[in-house]
Amino acid sequence: MASNDKKYNNIELMASVASRYLEDGKVMFAGTGIPMLAAALAQKTSAPNLVLVYEAGGISPAASMLPLSVADSRTTYRAICNASMPEAMEMNQKGLVTYAFLGGAQIDPYGNLNSTMIGTDYYNPKVRLPGSGGANELGSLAWKTLIIMNHSRKRFVEKVDFITTPGYLDGPGGREKAGLPPGTGPHLVFTELGLFDFDEKTKRMRLKSVLPGVTVEKVVSETGFQLIIPETVPVEDEPTKEELRLLREEVDPWRVVLRRGDNNAQE
Amino acid sequence: MEVVEQGMGQLFSRTTPDDFRKAMLEKADTMNNDKRMDLKEAIKRFVKNGDYLSIGGCSIVRLPMAFIHEVIRQGLRFRMAAGTRTFDIDLFLDNDRVLEIDIGYILGLEMLGIPQATRNRVRDRLKKGDLKFCEWSNGTMAWRHKAAAMGVPFLPVRTLAGTDTFKFSGAKKVKCPFTGELVVLVPALYCDVSVIHVHRADKYGNCQIDGMLNEDVEKARSAKRVIITTEKIIDTDEIRKDGSRTIIPQFYVDAVVEVPYGAFPTNMPNLYYLDLDHLQIYADAAKDVSGKALENYYIEYIYGVKDFAEYLEKCGGKHRLNELRGIELMERN
Repeated sequence: MASNDKKYNNIELMASVASRYLEDGKVMFAGTGIPMLAAALAQKTSAPNLVLVYEAGGISPAASMLPLSVADSRTTYRAICNASMPEAMEMNQKGLVTYAFLGGAQIDPYGNLNSTMIGTDYYNPKVRLPGSGGANELGSLAWKTLIIMNHSRKRFVEKVDFITTPGYLDGPGGREKAGLPPGTGPHLVFTELGLFDFDEKTKRMRLKSVLPGVTVEKVVSETGFQLIIPETVPVEDEPTKEELRLLREEVDPWRVVLRRGDNNAQE
Repeated sequence: MEVVEQGMGQLFSRTTPDDFRKAMLEKADTMNNDKRMDLKEAIKRFVKNGDYLSIGGCSIVRLPMAFIHEVIRQGLRFRMAAGTRTFDIDLFLDNDRVLEIDIGYILGLEMLGIPQATRNRVRDRLKKGDLKFCEWSNGTMAWRHKAAAMGVPFLPVRTLAGTDTFKFSGAKKVKCPFTGELVVLVPALYCDVSVIHVHRADKYGNCQIDGMLNEDVEKARSAKRVIITTEKIIDTDEIRKDGSRTIIPQFYVDAVVEVPYGAFPTNMPNLYYLDLDHLQIYADAAKDVSGKALENYYIEYIYGVKDFAEYLEKCGGKHRLNELRGIELMERN
């Protein structure tokens, strides 16, 4: 798909693109996997002063290696504070946290996320998933929620099987009506096909840009609901040599997360 | 206070703040005891079949693995608090040792994915009704432990609202009696027993922890019985040198068990990194949905060994543990 001299896989692509959108000097919660990769890359490139908070209590660590868990010693190595889950979540509840960076199994047009179960009967699920984890807190409390997911019609659905984590719920004003803190909600969605934001009026998902080699038609055909498509859709830049080098040599030299993209390498 | 909406989830722990006060009154009499004992004695004295259990550490970090192996060998079953539970709850679920779970997060193994055989077993047991869930989130579980640690019956929080997680939880939404705004109340979670692995403790149970605390401060303060497993027992003089390091003070603790490497194969901050290779052996076994490979895993590593020391030997012993220490300390070199 991409040009032949720049081989990279979907995880490397998504992490590189997402890293460019992380704002320097803000407090961010990052989950395990691609969010942590993107955050670590951003700290080495455009956002050296991004402050990471991990839900088990690590605040602003200075480890060079990628944490393999939201709790491992890389989340507290040379940290400014070894705090606790209540403290981390309360930072969020008090409005200190600008960004939360999450994944999910399903998402709907309003950015509501499911990570609890697939199926129609809660007590008899087709697939049981891990549950909320910290996602409900992050999606409820962070000012801006960033979401990263694989893109398919099974995942981008009109109605999620279970709302684990609130997006804009049923549309404009939905969050406030439910009692969630005002002024919060999903901000951007990153996939291997494109980037999405949410229309200010309708709170529905809107295509913002596509990834290299991806057409708007492809995005539409892989999405199970009506997307808002603007007149012009820019294309994201491919990962640079430097981004790939940092990801491979410094951020995840063991390829613990990166290798998950190896079976769909783009050549 | 008017209840505007409530979840349909069942509350699995029914201990009230007054029940807990009585338990604390009794415990206060034992606070100055020398609580050192071995794991088998601690389990015999302080853990009962059917107890509501909370476990310290988080995900694949600082889990009391020696305790988990021993209670699995002994066949005990629990009801369980599960904010960010991964490898620990997977082992319990694979062996049908957990009956009711307050879920923050279960089944995952971080970057190793979700163990398929475990997930299928959960689905089947859920369908049969012999496994019961109540949905929460990591934050609300932490706050439920915190409310109990405060000795109050509930805490108001600003999450869960508007979601199916709320619907399947035991939370209630009310109008704040002061401002009239909507707020979610989560009930305090008093546990029967909490087991926490720490870096250092003295014989009375004053504990120091390095690295993240997750909700261990709260768990230790809200369980009727607390078992501490520790990498090392240290003198009380060491504790007294810097009381600000005492994360858990002695009056909450019932047993202090010295178990070096007691968190293996999970990460013990500053001492040893998680053993990705061993966790991968488990994750690979769990890919076999027939359950056969997992059965072999358990025979090999839990049922077929007499204690945790033998398990450590099986996993590479001193040589491997030194490697993990090297990985843990890499950042410092």
